[in-house]
Amino acid sequence: MIYDIRHVTTYSYETQVSFARCSLRLEPITGDGQQLVSHSVEIRPKPAERTARRDFFGTLTESVLIETAHRSLRIDSRSRVSVARQPPLRDAASPPWEGVRDNAFEALSLDATSPVGYVFASALVPVLRPVTAYASASFSPGGGILAGAADLMRRIRSDFKYDPKATVISTPLRDVFEKRHGVCQDFAHVMIAGLRGLGLPAAYVSGYLRTIPPPGQPRLQGADATHAWVSVWCGSELGWVGFDPTNDLMVANDHIILAIGRDFADVSPVDGIIVGARKQKLSVAVDVLPVD
Amino acid sequence: MTASGGQGNSQESRARPGQRRMAQWARDYVRLPGIPDEFLAEDGAPRPVWARFFDAFAALSPADIERRFASADRHLREAGVTYRPHGDTSDRIWPLSHLPLIIDAADWRQLAAGVAQRAQLLEMVLADLYGDGRLVAEGAIPAAAIAGSSEYLRAVSGIKPPGGRYLHLYAADIGRGPDGRWWVLGDRTQAPSGAGYALENRLVLSRAFSNLYKSMNVERVAPFFEAFRDSLRASADRDEPRIGLLTPGAFSETYFEHATLARYLGFLLVEGDDLAVSGDRIHIRTVAGLKRLDVLLRRVDSNMLDPLELDASSYLGVPGLVEVLRKGGAVVANMPGSGVMEARALLGFLPNLCRRLLSEDLMMPHIATWWCGQKPAREEVLSRFDEFAIEGAYGRGVADFPGHGPVLPGELSAADRDRLKDAIGHRGIDYVGQELVRLSTTPVWENGRIAPRPFVLRVFAAATPNGWTVLPGGFCRIADRADARAVSMGDGAVSADVWVVSDKAVATSTLLPAVDTVRIRRIAGVLPSRAADNLFWLGRYLERAEATIRLIRALCTPLRDPARANATGSTPAMHSAERIQRMLVTWGAATQTARTNPAKVALEALQSEEKFGSALSLVRSAQRTATSLRERLSPDAWQVITEMADRLAIEVHDDDGVVSAAELTLQELASFAGLAQENMNRAAGWRFLEMGRRAERAINTTRFARQFAYDEAGDEDLDVLLTLVDCQITYRSRYLVQPLLTPVRDLAVLDPYNPRSVAFQVAALNEHIAALPSLKEHGLIERPQRLAVAVEAMLTTAEAGSLDVKTLFALEQDLLNLADSVGLHYFPHGPNASRPEKLTGLA
Repeated sequence: MIYDIRHVTTYSYETQVSFARCSLRLEPITGDGQQLVSHSVEIRPKPAERTARRDFFGTLTESVLIETAHRSLRIDSRSRVSVARQPPLRDAASPPWEGVRDNAFEALSLDATSPVGYVFASALVPVLRPVTAYASASFSPGGGILAGAADLMRRIRSDFKYDPKATVISTPLRDVFEKRHGVCQDFAHVMIAGLRGLGLPAAYVSGYLRTIPPPGQPRLQGADATHAWVSVWCGSELGWVGFDPTNDLMVANDHIILAIGRDFADVSPVDGIIVGARKQKLSVAVDVLPVD
Repeated sequence: MTASGGQGNSQESRARPGQRRMAQWARDYVRLPGIPDEFLAEDGAPRPVWARFFDAFAALSPADIERRFASADRHLREAGVTYRPHGDTSDRIWPLSHLPLIIDAADWRQLAAGVAQRAQLLEMVLADLYGDGRLVAEGAIPAAAIAGSSEYLRAVSGIKPPGGRYLHLYAADIGRGPDGRWWVLGDRTQAPSGAGYALENRLVLSRAFSNLYKSMNVERVAPFFEAFRDSLRASADRDEPRIGLLTPGAFSETYFEHATLARYLGFLLVEGDDLAVSGDRIHIRTVAGLKRLDVLLRRVDSNMLDPLELDASSYLGVPGLVEVLRKGGAVVANMPGSGVMEARALLGFLPNLCRRLLSEDLMMPHIATWWCGQKPAREEVLSRFDEFAIEGAYGRGVADFPGHGPVLPGELSAADRDRLKDAIGHRGIDYVGQELVRLSTTPVWENGRIAPRPFVLRVFAAATPNGWTVLPGGFCRIADRADARAVSMGDGAVSADVWVVSDKAVATSTLLPAVDTVRIRRIAGVLPSRAADNLFWLGRYLERAEATIRLIRALCTPLRDPARANATGSTPAMHSAERIQRMLVTWGAATQTARTNPAKVALEALQSEEKFGSALSLVRSAQRTATSLRERLSPDAWQVITEMADRLAIEVHDDDGVVSAAELTLQELASFAGLAQENMNRAAGWRFLEMGRRAERAINTTRFARQFAYDEAGDEDLDVLLTLVDCQITYRSRYLVQPLLTPVRDLAVLDPYNPRSVAFQVAALNEHIAALPSLKEHGLIERPQRLAVAVEAMLTTAEAGSLDVKTLFALEQDLLNLADSVGLHYFPHGPNASRPEKLTGLA
């Protein structure tokens, strides 16, 4: 499946902003069942400086410096990606989760794909006892990792309410968990926290969902914005497998990966520092259309 | 106590009571069972270095000893040697043990070699971790033992550290174990604190016991700091580099130390807001524009250093700093990410790493540690659970167990003990088990005798081009209870100076460099905008406090003089008093009340805690501002402000009390002004302090003139004005008549020869502005100067006869604009300016 993606981010400021330094992570990755065909980003006002490099996680990160005074910042990103993924079935045979945990602890690498980088608390995902206890109900002794993770995903989907007004970016995980509501980002963080509490490696994935579902299928939650889900390391044979707790879906060909990290802080698509705005308003528009 | 001789007595007649005292102390000194003591050897005999010390010490009379201790305490108080316990809002005086910890030179040489070796080992491990990564790939270090540390910075991975190394300053916390050897308890590789306090402790104790100190051949600490400074300078990529010490700010626990070190080493004390990234380099915002900064000695934790690539919520760092490191544009000491070596999880792997990387055995043992991320170690810990102290593997404390210290399973409830066991079973990677040790004791002085207390010693090592050099001495913390595992400044511990005692005379040295190697300079460095801003406001606060106090005094004085009140009749006097009260209310110094109570208003304006404009509040604001200027103020100046704030807070109850407090405060303000005038270098910093004072005085005097020399003012009002601007004598000697409107206005506002007139202040302001560096690129006159010149021209040409209230009001507005324009022009990034903020929202 080939998709054309348009992702427009607009910040409007109450007063003039004299200076901005931003990091953009807007280029979809190649790998993990997808291939980047083309990509471009247009920025208004025009930056004084643009430099790109791959960060630790392999994401192309563009550093942008804007020195022109401006009242709005518009970042227009276009990508074409081809996706061909063969995810395992949720009831497929898989190694017992305790073994996966112990293997992860013994990893011999600190690379971005090594499971050991994803078993510890991170900036936005603390390891909390109640969350771990919640997750452990899905993992009976000796149970398979796939079945456990899929069950946890299903429970989050049914126990938590999707409510875009309930949380903001800074709402702590503890609140999300206690109040049982939030958006895709929150659900992904909750699932990751529960898995890590059990010692299981879980990564945060930012990306897109196709906007119009195939005929006869329901429109997915989060399709008109950037989306987030979870990647779980299921042992060296199965490797990393995608779980979408917002939609209770194994990640297949409707998901396009932008970036992978420990939590949102590692992958946020647009991030930065500005000088001068008193208030800011953000609008994000995403269109993901299949190319036939 | 014995009636021992005074200072005039001869050595011989003092020796006998001295020896008796010494014998008595040793008898009363009860060693703790089962652990070594620094003073007494196993056989109960004093160790030679301590015997030498106490011989000399006991020769001092008890009264002399107490006097010297008191002088040490006074110095600490006066110099403002403080720390701020975590979570507190005010500073505490640094508690210093009056006895040093004494270490024999031979013992020290071994210890220092062990510390230097360890520093070198950790440096090599860091270089591998962030570089090739062979140690992890080959299994010499478990990846999980690194990945778990929040100090393992993925953003820094692969960057070659500018300056060629990760560690510039390293510290080890050590203690003497039951076997008599020195053991490492923990490594400090992030931004070790304590060296500045060690310096201050040395200063205090060596002064209080100068003869004793000289006779003991104590190794000097200055050469270490000299070597450290020179090495940092050498690490930069240009000669004469500019070096900054990055502090989180005045609220930080160890801010005093940051200021001390910056002053001692000659570095600029900077905060994140002072710095900006431009091009590939870090710059400091100064009153003369951006200036390149070459080396940053940081006291801010790694994760806080760059909101763009590290902790996004941090306001303590510099956006873009990691990118500068990537481009090699600045040396940051220690390199961000160095803190990963503080993880306890790594301790157990160091002996093998040492053999592998240095081909030698680790010289100094460390406290036996089992990282529970590996099965054999985990099983060992769980099987002998109660024999261990459980700690977090990465230094965050033990998850789900409150407090920062270790958890002793043997002391837990059965339920908690099971919970901990279970947690270790599931996520062993988060825990270490450490052997329970008790550390050796050293004497402290308590109620005229000595007593043993456990201690921890922090030893510092600096990287130099010729290898590691170790500070002879260090920062010693002494516990006030028997369990020395929990020694931290927050726990009621005291610190002690550390004397490494040589068997031969030591070379004296200070940080003063050899004369012929230094280029002569007359102006010290650059002035950061924030420091200039603080100096400007320090001047303004103090001047406003003075004006408030003059109003208070004027309010109280006629009431104290019934003869004069009667002579002039009540109506005009009350009228003036009402005007004074109204001013105090408008200034936020007193609450609006019935105007019949000047005594209450005066009291409130003097020392109300709530009113922001009271003299007390203003002096406290000055004190707060001065706190951020510690490295730029002389200890005397700091002391004047502190004493003033302390004394103003002492409650007074009546007019007499108010007047005498007001008089004293005016004297103290004058003495601060005198210190600034006589002792401050005539560089930009002095000018900003002066400008703040001048601007504020010009504004206040104009206000006074408007209030008391209004168009219909009577002689009582004019009299008050003459008092407020301190011109009674001048006026009377000049005019020999009762106060008249026009001459009084001329004297207070226009007279350029009167140091209290508005014209005088404006002329001084103009002179300062003209002397400051120009930022202009467009060749036009800059705004502060334009305003100042215009006001000065107006004052020069005006005639007193035409100076009505309307003109005075316009003048006051012009002066306020002028003061604001100085702020906007020279400190555009000051606390009142817009600071960088995050782009928010889920993009």
